This record gives sequence, C-alpha cells and structure tokens, in this order.
Amino acid sequence: MSGFDWLFFFEISLAGLGSGGLLALAGLALVIIYKATRVVNLAIGEMLMISAYLFFAMASSMGLPVWLAIVGTIVASGAFGALIERTMLRPMLGESPISTFMVTVGLSSILVGLVELVWTADPRRLPEFMPTDPVLLGEAMVAPKVFYGFVVTAALIALVLLVFRFWRGGVALRATASDQAAAYSMGINVPRVFSLAWTVAAMIAAVAGIVVGAVGGISSAMGVFGLSVLVVVIVGGLDSVLGALVGGVLVGLVEAWAGAYLGGEFKVIATFSLLLLVLVVRPYGLFGTHDIERL
Amino acid sequence: MSIPRRSLLSVALAAAALASGQPAFAQAEDIVLGGSIPMTGVFAFAGIGVNAGIQDYVKIVNDAGGIKGRKLRYVPEDTGYKVDASVAAFKKITGQNKVNLYYGDSTGFAKTINPELERSGQILMAGASFATEINDPKKYPYQFLVGPDYTEMIGILLKHIAKVKPGAKVAFVYSDSEFGRDPIDESRTGAKKLGLNVAVEIMTPPGSVDVSGEVIKLRRADPDFTIFHGYVLAPIPEFVIQAKKLGMKSQFMGTFWTMDNSMVMKMGEAADGFMGVMPFRYYYDTEGKSPMLEKIRALHPNEYQSAPYMQGFLTAMLMTEAAKRTLDAGKPLDGKNLKAALNTIKNYDTGGIIGTPITIKGNSIPVGRIYRADVKQQKMLPASDWITLE
Amino acid sequence: MRIGAAKQSYEADAALFDTRTQRVWAGLLVLGLCAFPFVADEYWLYLACLIAINVASACGLNILTGYTGLVSLGQAAFMGLGAYTVAVMELRLGTPFAVNLLSGGLVAMAGGVVVGLPSLRVKGLYLAIATIAASVLAHFLFSNLKLTGGTTGLSLPPARFFGTALDTSFRIYWLIVPLAGLMLLGASNLFRTRIGRAFIAIRDRDISAEVLGIPLLRYKLMSFGLSSFYAGVAGGLWAYFFRVVTPESFPLLMSIFFLAAIIVGGMGTILGCILGAVFMTLVPELLKLVIGWLPLTTNATLILSPVRTIVFGALIVGFLIFEPHGLAEMWRRVRRYFHLWPFRT
Repeated sequence: MSGFDWLFFFEISLAGLGSGGLLALAGLALVIIYKATRVVNLAIGEMLMISAYLFFAMASSMGLPVWLAIVGTIVASGAFGALIERTMLRPMLGESPISTFMVTVGLSSILVGLVELVWTADPRRLPEFMPTDPVLLGEAMVAPKVFYGFVVTAALIALVLLVFRFWRGGVALRATASDQAAAYSMGINVPRVFSLAWTVAAMIAAVAGIVVGAVGGISSAMGVFGLSVLVVVIVGGLDSVLGALVGGVLVGLVEAWAGAYLGGEFKVIATFSLLLLVLVVRPYGLFGTHDIERL
Repeated sequence: MSIPRRSLLSVALAAAALASGQPAFAQAEDIVLGGSIPMTGVFAFAGIGVNAGIQDYVKIVNDAGGIKGRKLRYVPEDTGYKVDASVAAFKKITGQNKVNLYYGDSTGFAKTINPELERSGQILMAGASFATEINDPKKYPYQFLVGPDYTEMIGILLKHIAKVKPGAKVAFVYSDSEFGRDPIDESRTGAKKLGLNVAVEIMTPPGSVDVSGEVIKLRRADPDFTIFHGYVLAPIPEFVIQAKKLGMKSQFMGTFWTMDNSMVMKMGEAADGFMGVMPFRYYYDTEGKSPMLEKIRALHPNEYQSAPYMQGFLTAMLMTEAAKRTLDAGKPLDGKNLKAALNTIKNYDTGGIIGTPITIKGNSIPVGRIYRADVKQQKMLPASDWITLE
Repeated sequence: MRIGAAKQSYEADAALFDTRTQRVWAGLLVLGLCAFPFVADEYWLYLACLIAINVASACGLNILTGYTGLVSLGQAAFMGLGAYTVAVMELRLGTPFAVNLLSGGLVAMAGGVVVGLPSLRVKGLYLAIATIAASVLAHFLFSNLKLTGGTTGLSLPPARFFGTALDTSFRIYWLIVPLAGLMLLGASNLFRTRIGRAFIAIRDRDISAEVLGIPLLRYKLMSFGLSSFYAGVAGGLWAYFFRVVTPESFPLLMSIFFLAAIIVGGMGTILGCILGAVFMTLVPELLKLVIGWLPLTTNATLILSPVRTIVFGALIVGFLIFEPHGLAEMWRRVRRYFHLWPFRT
C-alpha cells in the first residue's frame, strides 16, 4: 500500500462525525433526564423510535406537509415524555436507582410492543425530505443526510447549552440536579422541573429520531441504537452536556474507524471496549462529576 | 397498502383453522401439515405470505378431493421468528396431532429440530430457510429446501455476471448474522472459479443505522456488481441511493428474500435496475401456460401475492406430491418414505410457479431466473432464462 | 392458627424446613414432581424442563442481584459460556455429562470473576452497564471463534446416562429437575452461612460492610463467581435440552428476562426466584390462551407477539411500582392472613 490513504480516512472520519452527532443528540436527551432526575433512561432508543413512527404517521399516512409533521412530532413527543414521567417515574421517586432503571427497561419493552401492534414489525422508509445531493468538502464526499443531521445536532446542542445558562427553567434544572432539598427550599417546584426535563428530553429525542429514521429507515428494532447512546453518556459523563457531545463524536469516530479498517463485526466491540476502558480509567466519564457517597 | 387487508383474511382463516384443530386428537384419516410460521416479528412480511400460500394450496387440494381421498389439514402457530417459540409450537402441534409434514420458520429452528425429526422419523420438513448447511441429505435426511440454497442463489447470480461481463469486479455486502454469513465463503471460491474478481466484502452489523462508512468503502472498491445478502429491506435502499448519488456505476443485486416486488418498489427511485435471483414466478407473470398462476389469480383477483406466498404455495404443492407418491406406492407415510418419494420428482411441472420442469435430486431445487426491477412499470421483469445449476 | 414453634437448639432455629407442616408440604411437592412426567404430555414436559432451567439460572442471578445488590445484565452471557463449554466438550472430548456440566459451570465462573473485576472501581448502574459490555463481548466471541462454530453454532448429541440417550423431554426431565432442586437447596443453604450474610451486608450498605471487616472485592467476586457458576450449569442443561447452541441463543433480552423474573418474583428470596421464573415462563402460554378465547377472531394471531412484548414490559413496570417485593410478598401476605385468622393481619 503506497502511503496512507488520507482521503479515505478523511471521508470515513466525516461519516463517523455525522453518526457521532446523532449519538450526541440522543445522548443529550439522556443527560438532561439524568441531570434533573438522576434516572438513567434505557428506553431512550425506543423513545426515538416512537417519535420516528409518529413522524411517519403524520407525514405518510396523514399526508401532512413535512414541516408540519416535524413540528407535530416534536410537540406530541414532548407530551408523551411528560406522560411517561407522570405515570411511571413519579411513583418511583425515592426508590433505588436500580429500580428506576428497571422501570425504563420495562418501558422500552412496552414501547416496542406498542409500535409492533400499530404498525407491525416490518421495516419502513420515511418520506424523503432532505436534499439528496452529496455534499463536497474539498475532495471528500459526505452523504447529505449525515451532513444535515450533524448540522441540526450542532445547532440544537448549542441552543441547549445557551438555554441551560440563561433561561430560568434551565437554571432550575441545574439547581434540582445538584441538590433537590435546597431547590425545594428555594421555592422551585421540583416535580414540575422533572416533567419539564422529560418533556425537553423527549423533544430532543424526537429530532434525533426523525434524523435517524431518515438515514436508516424505521423498524421496531430501532431501539437498539439506545445501547450505543448509553456508551456515549458513560464515556462523556452522565451529567455533562459537553460530555454528551464529546462522547458522541468520540464513539462515532471509533465506530466508523473500526468498521472501515477492521470490519463490520468489530464496530460494536470497539464501542464497548472504549466503554470498558473509560470505566476502568475514569469511572465517572470524561466530564462527569464524582459522586461522593456518604454514610 | 393492500397487504393488511389480505393478511386479516388469511389470519381469520388461520384462526379458524386453529380453532378447528382444537379438538385435542385428530381424526386418523387427515394428513396434517404443521407449521411454525413467523406471522409476527421481523419476518412477519414473509410469514404472512407463506401462511396464505400454504392455506390456498391446501384448499385447492381439498377441493379436488384431497390426497387419495384423505383431507389435507394445515395447523399453523405463530412464532415471532424466535427459535424457542418455534420449538414450543412444534411440540404442541405434534403432541396434539399426528403430523407428517411440517413447515419451519428459520434456519435456527431447522437445525434445532433435526435430531427430533430423526428420532421420530415421521415427518418431512421444509421451511423458510435456504441455508447451505441444510442442503446436505446425509445430515438433514428429513428436510428439504424449496428452492436453491443461498450459495446456489449467489452461484446463479455469479454465472449470469460471468456471462454478461467476464472478469468483472464483484462486491458482497451481507449482514452479520447466520442468514447473512451463510453463503459467503463458498461464493468467494465460486466467484474465483468463474474468473470473477471479488473486490470487497462488507459485513454490516445487524440493526445498523448509518451505512455511510460502508458506502464509502464500497465506492473505494468500485465494483461492477454488488450482491446484497442477508437482508429483507434495510439497509439496501440507503446503500443504493447513496451509492448512485456518489456516482457509482455498479449494478445492484439481491437474493431471494429481497426480491419480492412490493419490497423492491419500496426503494422508490433507487429500485430501478435492481436485479436478483428468483426461483419462482411473480403473481403478475403471464408468460406461457401457467395453470397454477391462473388459479392463484382467480383466488385473489387484482391482489398482488408476494414472493413468500409463492414459496409457501410451492412447499405445500411439493409436500402433497410427495405424500401422493408415497401412498401410490402403497408405503406408510413416514419421513423416510416421504423423502424418497420427494426425490423421485423428475422433470415435474409445477404448473407455472417455477418456469421450468424441476428435479429434486438432493435437498434443494437449484433453479432460478434473474429478474430486473422496472420502476416505471412497478414490476420485476425477467432478465435471463431459467438457469439450472448442476 | 399457628402461633409459633418453640426451638430448643440453634440448628433447629436455622433449619430450612422448620415446622412439620412445611416438611409435609415439601414432601408432597417432591412426590408431585416425581409423578408429573408420567401424567403430562410432551408439551407440558417441555415446559417443565424449560421452567426448571430458568429457575436454576434465576436463582443464580438472585444470589448476585437479590442478595448482594449487584445488578447484572450478563446472565445470558454466562449461560452461553456454560452452554458452549458443554457443547465443545461433548463434541470434541465425549466426556460424561456430569464432567461437562461441571466444567461449564467452572468456565462461566471464571468469566463471572473477570466481569466482576470492575466492581472494584464502579458500582450500581455503571456496573450494570459494564455487564452489558461483557454480554456484547461474549456474543462477539461466540460469533467469531472457530472453536464455537461461528454464527452457525454447534449441534451436540444428547447426554448419555449409562448408555441411554437423554433425548426426549421425559428422559431429560430426570436430569434437569433434580439438579435444579439441588441448586436451589444450595442457594438456600448459602444464606445460612457467614458468606451469605456477608452478601446481604454488602447489599444493604457496602461501605459499612467494609468497616465491619468484610473484604469487599473478595466477596463481590465470590458473588459474581457463584452466580455465574449457576448460570453456567443452567446453560449446560440448556445445551443438552435444545441440542443446538448458536450466538443468537443467548441475547441481551434473555438477561433482561431473568432480571424481570427475579423482580417479579421478589428479589432476595429463594421462593421469589422460583415464583418469578415459573410465572415469566408461563405468561406467554397464558397469553396465547387468553387471546384465543377473546372474541377477536380476525386479529388474534397477529397481535399475540406485540401483546406479549407489552405485557412483559408492563409486568416489570407494574411490579416495580405496585409490588416491589414481588410475588413472594403477595404469597407471604396470603399466608399471613391464614396463619393469623381469625385475627386481622
């Protein structure tokens, strides 16, 4: 081989960045929920899936124009997130984190079953709504969906970072995350903050779901995406928004490189090896805060 | 989509069949065809079609008086394409009925149940699997494939490629599953023997969302023909669309389970020119004399019946034929006799389901035809003659 | 109404079956299990064997998660290790099944200890996710090693017991059920010993346990090792029962199934893992019956699979919200009612 094929490497890296962006977006949703409620939501992949199917229902079956379907999906997903929080997570307040984790596992099964009941397990494709010409960066070609997906992700993450810093709701979320009791005594309506966290997270997951669905089609097995997202937030730190972005990009790149240079079967292994490495070296993630356990 | 309405009807028939099978012990006269059918789950599309195909053929047989006066009874159970559910269904159906014919839903099930088939020796089995491993009469004496095995399918594609463009560059894109990996090793050697150059082999993890990395790899290799195997629909459309946009000039081909007309047309514009090997004719095929196709069209006027339907229909047909020949020879209906009878099928006319007379020498029917998708007509049209492998 | 039983020695107090009624019921259960294969048909025998395997594995997970508090989503991977070990040994060495099962258990135990090593650094949820990683790694190994037959998997001949092949559900029942019973007895005994109490202490507050002088890493690894030993033996039995082992036989979903089984049954009790495993294995069959009876003639078979998935998830969520101590607690409530009748509970 005459020298390293830099163009190939560059193209693969771009593809990795693109998929990393999607992972980061879903990771962001997970982080928001964790930051506010200390719950690790394993059902994030399935929430993505439900949003993708809602978009499919609105855009294909009901024939709404795409922009309306997107808005409709986001709103509906937000409402759905609030509903889940109220019915399944609120009663678990005060229980051990393992129990709440298992509730989200149960939730993921329920969502999969619901989707299969209404839409059957056949894989489907979303209507095309993104420009289809490949984007040229120098000599390298990037798949258009991946590129625009990444742009959307970056914009959304920037938006969320700003919101957390300056909007009252964002500050309330951060306050509840660091000390629930203190937040209560400061007059913050903590249950309302929980609902808000789940609503916002579900909306972000909806955007991620639409993009993921547009890239790879939708099916009732889409939720397995959630496992990769879990790796992303563990690597980045469960309660760090920046960590979700960095973790997502890192995992996306690692997956793309592993797939290109080692072979498709090594993708998942590479991701989980990264996870194990981070768990051993920095257990709380690259940017996470260390929980000091007190007796 | 017309499929849900049709499936409602067929499921109603299935439920009625199930309900009628309930009286715990079967009449000794009926010949029972049991089925572990994936009517829900990832293979539901295929399962529903297969179920409808078997039911229709059973109806045709019984309307004509049955098999030598004995009624053919179809007893299916849904398995969701999971091996333990399939095994449980098998045990339930064989526990409640005297079963001589069985349809299995997957390669995994076929392999798991094989020792049981050998032990009881009463049943002849076929199924949705076209796995190369099962095409071995010594290891799987009571099973057969209703068509070519996956290696033979790709062999037919390679033969066609070698004829159309000798020395061409070929790429294999397959899924990381037993289904996907099955034919790749032998196909690689087969391609070399035909003087074709295997430019790249790309394996995609199951459930992968984004294939842009793989498409880049594919584009690097710049093959003349790309063969997909191990998928039902996704991620082929993504691959094909992206590859075409990136300027790749490769022809895209697939194996049986991706060849259903409605599935291919779901790819939209990208479907144009998609080729593959189909062992059976399509519902709308009016070439030559096809009495069975006419019958199917009469049963379902203006309603497209899928490729899995054809497979189920043909399975029932071949099993009926094997049973008839066994009874004609005065032998009892057990696994050995049924299989021997099946192997006497020589130059058999399937009534047009397969476009050429077939011979079942071993465990498979190595016959197929290349079809190409024509998006304007929304149909898969023949692109070669019927090819029979030795 | 039972008021109480006066114990006069320490052994009597710590006994597993401490009253005569309990011993009588236990005896009847054993008799029932012995008589069962002679009256049941093929299908119910198949279910019984499957239930016994699930009970054994759930028991192992209970030791780890219910008693030691370490959530593990890798139970299926350990079962896979045991199953593959048995398959490889049976195919290549032809050793008797007892040796194979034992080796399966030991290999799985080794795997469990390795997976348990991160428990030094991380706990709780992070450990659970590390076990998911172990599951994925195991799946990768099974799919890609030549030894394990790759994605095709391995088919093995039936176990032989002094010449007779255990190839029907009736015959293998006599291997699986007694072995599962032994394993349950072993687990019950474990929690009468020092080691068992140490596990419970670790679950309740591991830092306090360490302060009390329990070496954490050693006991956590022991817990992982024991539970994976159970899983390995259960996996070996699974291999002899189905006689085909493929990488797809032990997916992550199976680990979730076992976790659900002990949650629904009641974590931290032996009765809980039995009830949970039995319940979760029989629920799909029950659903099939219920859906068959409902007057939805057209859609019946089509909705069975999704409904099964929904019910699975709903059971987990429902039990966690409404009955966190599971079926065992419901059973205890019923028993208490009858013990204390006519007084109110």
